[in-house]
Amino acid sequence: MSTDVREVAGLALDAAKGDDALAIVLSERSGLARFASSEVHQPTLIENCSVMLQIVRDGKIGTASTNRLDAEALKELAHRAGDAADAAVAEEGFPGLAPPTPLPEVEGWDDAVAGIGPEDQARRARAAIDASSVELFGFFTSGATELAISSTAGVDAYQGMTDETTLVVAAGEGESGYASRTTWAEDGMDPAAVGREASEKAQRTRNAKSLEPAPYRAVLEPYAFADLITYFSFDAFGANGLLEGRSYLAGRIGEKIVDEKVSIADDALDPRGLPKRFDFEGVPKQRVELIENGVANGVVWDRTSAARAGEGHESTGHAPPPVYRQYGPLAFGISVAGGEVDTVDELCELVGDGIYVTRLHYLGIVDPREGVITGMTRDGTFRIRDGKVAEPLVNLRFTVSVPQMLADVPGLSRETTLVNTSDFYGDRYPTGALVPALATARFNITGVGSEPGL
Amino acid sequence: MRDLCRSAVDAAVGAGASYADARAVVRRSQGVSTKNGRVENVSDLESEGIGVRVLVDGAWGFAGDRRLDADGARDAALRACAFARAAAGRGEKSLAPLEATSGTYRTPVEIDPFAVSLGDKVALCLRAEEALRHADVKVTEAFVRALREHKFLFTSDGAEIEQELVETGAGIDALAVSDGGFQIRSYPSAHGGSSSQAGWEYVEGLGLEREAPRVGEQAAALLRAEVCPPGVTTVVIDAEQMELQVHESVGHPIELDRVYGSEASYAGTSFLKPTDLGSLRYGSEKMNVTADSTTPGGLGTFAFDDEGVPARREPIVVEGVLRNFLTSRETAERIGTGAGGSMRADGWNRMPLIRMTNLHLDPGEGTFDDLLADVDDGIYLETNKSWSIDDKRLNFQFGTQIAWEIKNGKLGRMLRDATYTGITPQFWGSLDAVAGPEAWHMQGLTNCGKGQPGQGAHVSHGASPCRFRNVQVGVKA
Repeated sequence: MSTDVREVAGLALDAAKGDDALAIVLSERSGLARFASSEVHQPTLIENCSVMLQIVRDGKIGTASTNRLDAEALKELAHRAGDAADAAVAEEGFPGLAPPTPLPEVEGWDDAVAGIGPEDQARRARAAIDASSVELFGFFTSGATELAISSTAGVDAYQGMTDETTLVVAAGEGESGYASRTTWAEDGMDPAAVGREASEKAQRTRNAKSLEPAPYRAVLEPYAFADLITYFSFDAFGANGLLEGRSYLAGRIGEKIVDEKVSIADDALDPRGLPKRFDFEGVPKQRVELIENGVANGVVWDRTSAARAGEGHESTGHAPPPVYRQYGPLAFGISVAGGEVDTVDELCELVGDGIYVTRLHYLGIVDPREGVITGMTRDGTFRIRDGKVAEPLVNLRFTVSVPQMLADVPGLSRETTLVNTSDFYGDRYPTGALVPALATARFNITGVGSEPGL
Repeated sequence: MRDLCRSAVDAAVGAGASYADARAVVRRSQGVSTKNGRVENVSDLESEGIGVRVLVDGAWGFAGDRRLDADGARDAALRACAFARAAAGRGEKSLAPLEATSGTYRTPVEIDPFAVSLGDKVALCLRAEEALRHADVKVTEAFVRALREHKFLFTSDGAEIEQELVETGAGIDALAVSDGGFQIRSYPSAHGGSSSQAGWEYVEGLGLEREAPRVGEQAAALLRAEVCPPGVTTVVIDAEQMELQVHESVGHPIELDRVYGSEASYAGTSFLKPTDLGSLRYGSEKMNVTADSTTPGGLGTFAFDDEGVPARREPIVVEGVLRNFLTSRETAERIGTGAGGSMRADGWNRMPLIRMTNLHLDPGEGTFDDLLADVDDGIYLETNKSWSIDDKRLNFQFGTQIAWEIKNGKLGRMLRDATYTGITPQFWGSLDAVAGPEAWHMQGLTNCGKGQPGQGAHVSHGASPCRFRNVQVGVKA
């Protein structure tokens, strides 16, 4: 089954005739072969196409959606969106629908990935499982997503996106290791290599030792660093966080806030990531420098937040879907610049004495204004002694201020890794963060958990 | 829907499935949110489709298709079978027996939330927000939601079940900001308010406008409050935070799929083992926890779960000892006890998973003041602000929006940025009092995540305020 998302968007606009309207059509064809104890146990295939219609009447905005695509359903959709608009209150200063703007060409679609079917998805899951000498838990998934946005203001935007991820935990009693890979292109994926990486890591975690809670120097693999910086970004790097005073960057734009080795951007155009051409208003994506050589530079904007802020701000192409408008624009294309260190082993040498963290678990934002986040390490935590990875450690609770953690950075790896950040809730819209491995002079351990593994 | 589900199951069995079930789901939701007097979102969303789950040669398969027609049903069934064959496992799966049954269920509602106009919903939010305003409050927010899910389940072993579940919910937040300071207060609960399986009468009963002035004033007062000092002390925890404590440190560990490792790659496992049943001391004798999918108003209330197993009430922890897990038909058969009854799916395009239904900390005795009276020096903690727990559900750290010191049995000065941390069995072992039924109340949360691809679940918890001894508070970055 195939649906022409551009055609559906046009039909939805036709149904809204007489109103200012924006139609967003998202189709998904995906498969996820989830496995536990080295056996596929939750394989899920999804076929869907939904259309969201935003109607603007005299500055009042209403939204409705459906995944019924016949003419009668689209007529009902327009009626419900109109009712929603009538119920709203006109918004002073609302910038209106975006005008059409030339869109950048991006990569991000691979026919080979789009063509991966259930048999291949299961085979790739099996390839990861067979490569591990430890029982494996995780999944292989691939999907093809098409997004069309059309408006009565003339926006006519389309993008196809493919993505595939292999994510595994190799685990037994007292041992566990983690690895994952995400890519939009077929040649970037080797499930067996992912299985091997996790398996080898797991076998090094046996007989884990405890550790006295205290601040430590640390090396964070890209998996761990991506998780931390993504959570930090929710409040820190969006315009609403800045305007509402939640962001660590509020009142600090132009100030040096972290080590000068640290530069962070939001870059949806980078072909090494999961590229996007436009946001959910149909505005072109821009690369935004968030932190440049340690200095707070700015945040991401959509049309609404830019209009509310005034002072010359313009959308950077980061509008969320209309139903998430209250959260404002968010940075879902985080890209941390790599450093000058060739290997993770060299980062360990820079740390000298500290801890090595593969992956984090269940992060919680303790204080958004100060960027304080807590969580646990998981699936590969080790002591670093004399500049080398030494004995395995139990899972550790950390409570860190991200800016403090980044205030003294002995080094970053030259290579960056794309880490999936979507978890595949709701409709598929692949997101990821491009990050290097990090060495930090301060990673605050505040508690001790259990040994790794099942 | 019945005929579609039957045809999907027939197609799956015809394609070689030894077991098949089909769920047709039509979901409609409305949401309104306002912020600082502006309408941020007025939406009316719907989604429908059919999900078919099969067992072929001992392997599971699942496919969801948005088309609620004969083609969609047949394609989903055949694709599910094809995926199961491609992902062949180690052999037959056994399911706990299920009596062939048919039934219908509808959430009892007094006022249909979809009959309340979106305009009235917007007006309520704006009035509640207005009442939140305070000079130090920079952001006010209000939101209401309504959900109706109509679903039909047909299984190859004889279940035919039609259910319509209706939810409503609402909440308000006040964010106070000063130079370098940021504080939040929420009502009736943090992270999206509270919801119930009920009609609009639930939202009306919350009294958002009535509570808003207190919420705004407390957010502002927190800017000037002292930081909760670190130390090991006695804590009294309000019912709302206790509900999250139950959710994270009891609800998730007792999910038997986690115990068997099915969630190891995402949500995690459990510190509990199958052999702990009937013997593990989870907490003190004051600790009694019940799972109840029949609780009126609970978000985990139904007549049948998404495998067709009838709803019921069962003890989970009795006087501190583990007595039951939450199960599916497959895990119940594997452990050799129980019948399932906790399987729920997030809509038509996700497989059912073991999810909490309504999980309650049973009330004890006495009042909130009685809890305080036996504390010479301690901290009272109220309303969740942050939460984190490890993959085995042992090491947790929670923060609350507000706290007060307790001195000589009375509440003293307000404190901000309070956190507490512990290890699950030791923490519950330090429970020395649970307030009585008068202080017990239930909240419904809509942001419980699990599964790959991710699934949200809506669950309710009831609790009374509790007192714990020797708890670490005041963790710092």
